[in-house]
Amino acid sequence: MKLNLKVFSALSPFVKRLIFVAVVFGIFAGLNPSFANYASILSVVQGIAFVGIASIFLVLLITSGEFDISIGATAALSALTSAILVTHQGFSMLSAFLISLGAGILVGLINGLVVIYGKVPSFIATIAMLFMCKSLATFVSEGKGIADFPDLHEGFKDSTLGKYFSIIIFIILIFVGEFILNKTNFGKVIAAIGSNPEAARTAGINTNRVKLLLFMATGCGAALAGYLSLLHFSSAWFTLGSGWELLAIAGMVIGGTSLFGGKGTVTGLFLGMLLMQVVASGMVASHIDPWWQTVITGVIVLVSLSVDMKRKKVKFDAK
Amino acid sequence: MASSSNNNYALEMIKIYKNFGPVIALDDVSLKVKVGSIHGLIGQNGAGKSTLMKILSGIYASGTFEGQINVAGESVKMSSPLDAQVRGISIVPQEITVADTLTVAENILLSELAMNRKGFYSKKNGLQKIRKFLEDNEIPLTADQLVSELSLHKKQILMIASALYKNPKVLVLDEPTSSLTSDEIANLFSIVRNLKKRGFTTVFITHKLPEILELCDAVSILRDGKTVRTSERSEFDANQLVSDMIGRKLGDLYPEKNVLSKDAKAIFSARNLVVENPRKPGEIMVSEFSFDLHAGEILGLGGLVGSGRTEILRALYGDNRVLAGKLELQGSEITSKDIPSAIQSGIGYVTEDRKLEGLFFNLEIKSNSTASILDKFKKMGLLNKQKEKEVAAEITESLAVKPQDIYEMIRNLSGGNQQKVLIGKGLLAKPIVFMLDEPTKGVDIASKAEIYRIISDLAKQGVGIILVSSEFPELLALSHRILVFSGGAMRGEMTGDINKEQELMMMAIGQS
Repeated sequence: MKLNLKVFSALSPFVKRLIFVAVVFGIFAGLNPSFANYASILSVVQGIAFVGIASIFLVLLITSGEFDISIGATAALSALTSAILVTHQGFSMLSAFLISLGAGILVGLINGLVVIYGKVPSFIATIAMLFMCKSLATFVSEGKGIADFPDLHEGFKDSTLGKYFSIIIFIILIFVGEFILNKTNFGKVIAAIGSNPEAARTAGINTNRVKLLLFMATGCGAALAGYLSLLHFSSAWFTLGSGWELLAIAGMVIGGTSLFGGKGTVTGLFLGMLLMQVVASGMVASHIDPWWQTVITGVIVLVSLSVDMKRKKVKFDAK
Repeated sequence: MASSSNNNYALEMIKIYKNFGPVIALDDVSLKVKVGSIHGLIGQNGAGKSTLMKILSGIYASGTFEGQINVAGESVKMSSPLDAQVRGISIVPQEITVADTLTVAENILLSELAMNRKGFYSKKNGLQKIRKFLEDNEIPLTADQLVSELSLHKKQILMIASALYKNPKVLVLDEPTSSLTSDEIANLFSIVRNLKKRGFTTVFITHKLPEILELCDAVSILRDGKTVRTSERSEFDANQLVSDMIGRKLGDLYPEKNVLSKDAKAIFSARNLVVENPRKPGEIMVSEFSFDLHAGEILGLGGLVGSGRTEILRALYGDNRVLAGKLELQGSEITSKDIPSAIQSGIGYVTEDRKLEGLFFNLEIKSNSTASILDKFKKMGLLNKQKEKEVAAEITESLAVKPQDIYEMIRNLSGGNQQKVLIGKGLLAKPIVFMLDEPTKGVDIASKAEIYRIISDLAKQGVGIILVSSEFPELLALSHRILVFSGGAMRGEMTGDINKEQELMMMAIGQS
């Protein structure tokens, strides 16, 4: 047993977390054998695809030491805008898509400018942006939703590609995000900025420009998530994306991203969100009162944070 | 490289002149640094060292000052810090600025990565490159170690390594020893000497004379924005440097010591005191020591940073645990269990860090000076503001705080005047024993002289003073006696005499 533990602790954090998620899944599957099938795995992943896509660039942004609370509201605003444009104004799908991405980038740009040049802490600036986007989304949709958004083309949603579309994009973006963080100079620059802005500046990094870019990427990612959700459900409501920011934060914390900046992992985010979703779906499948879900989510966040802190402390004391 | 005569100098700053509005910060300053040498730059705070370095590092861009800068014989004009780096000037700032969540290798590579943001990062290649670099330059760091695991000292070395990696023509170390222990300083020096052997040119900025004497081949002294002198190693000695730095004979700076009568009674005694290490509860920071403090006496505690001086003061003030021993104040035993009871029994303490724990920066002089005695202005449970104002005005006047406006915000005051308010705050509690921790840290020379006078006046009034200072001349000149600590133990006692710096230094580093 001891040896096993040793082997376990030598594994990479990613594999460790993956094993943990698998074990949790196995427990629910054991409780309720009908949970252990392909369809439920698929629905678990589908369940986190949109919030996941909206969070990928947020991980990068947080790694650089900034925050964006407005991702959910940005998704709602851009999805509803393009929904209205297509259904009421006769815009083409493509132009509406581009406009919605543009809206997301614009929101990110404004966030970035306010934070960087207005010197408003990003937490506060993006809370303000959350309110604005939310009410704008309510305003453009007149407080209702759009329920008749057309398919990309006839029969697309029933095709294999259409069925897995958002999941595929989610997985591609996970790789992109992880690649940027670990395998590019830019990723190291992002981590350096989040770790110590002064050190980054003295190394000749234009921290403002990098942060601005990341704010825009985050807005763009949120808009993309909103649009994909619109496409998937053929509908969008002004409530789209509420609570995403909290799910994103929880997923990151469980996954090992530091909310103080300097250390981020996109695969960790994926596993963190997966864990929460497995627990949520598993509980539903096992007929546990759904009100317990959020309690359990809270417990997971607390436990993973304190485990993280404890590990750091052990390391520190050993020095 | 062509061997014109100019190229004997790695760096020449010629006739630099810089003003901020009507204030002249640098007036005809010149600095010439020979290739392959370690060149010391010393001067008091406010002498112009940092302004000069900001010019050299490109923070004050070319055009905002007059004068010429040559690097390796070529005239350069720099518009930004990055520009300065490109031209071969690497500055290691005083504050530790490293990225904790990255590895040693990534930190060193950072500026290279920043130049090529679109490139791909290979961990393996990066490690390989940095391992070789560290090995070649005999720098004791591990390439793949996470920086958050490094000690302060190792981080300092990492910063030097990062600067060195850019292969600079001139490496500037700005007060690199300010937070190091003596072992670490020795280690740092050997690295710098090593670099010299490898042909690097280093400018070493400090205000500590022993470091200049030990390390530097040449020295330039700045005072009041002017270059006072540049000397070769063979031409300077400690006394010369000191008088050049402060611009007057030592005697003028320090007030005369009051003479203690032979039968002055001990007002405060410590017997077999053992002081806890505040960072490691239960562990001993300073082992058993005893002392007596007499009325009107200034007792110095000497030693290097980290020798336990501050912890002793804090223990006496009830802010750090005393593990064993006895304290007696005016003949009756006291226990220093917490700060309020220490103040109550007549012990005052002026912290070494006025920013962090001394003053309320967003409040005015009045509230700061009366902060610890508000109880005394109570009138039927309410604050008697009139009384508070009078007391604040009185202390502000007697300590000659500038400006004399008790409603001025602390943050608008100079370091020296902030320090005076801080001292005033301690004095208002009418201490019998007054402890000052680095009372002239970050204070200009004029304020220093005033603070010395305040301390000396207090002693003349019969207050017992315990003084901690890293500036040995100051400690020697003010104190009647000095207890020297090193490595967590008292090494001995000496009389305070400005000419005994050598003796104090030897004792402080545990060499006698």
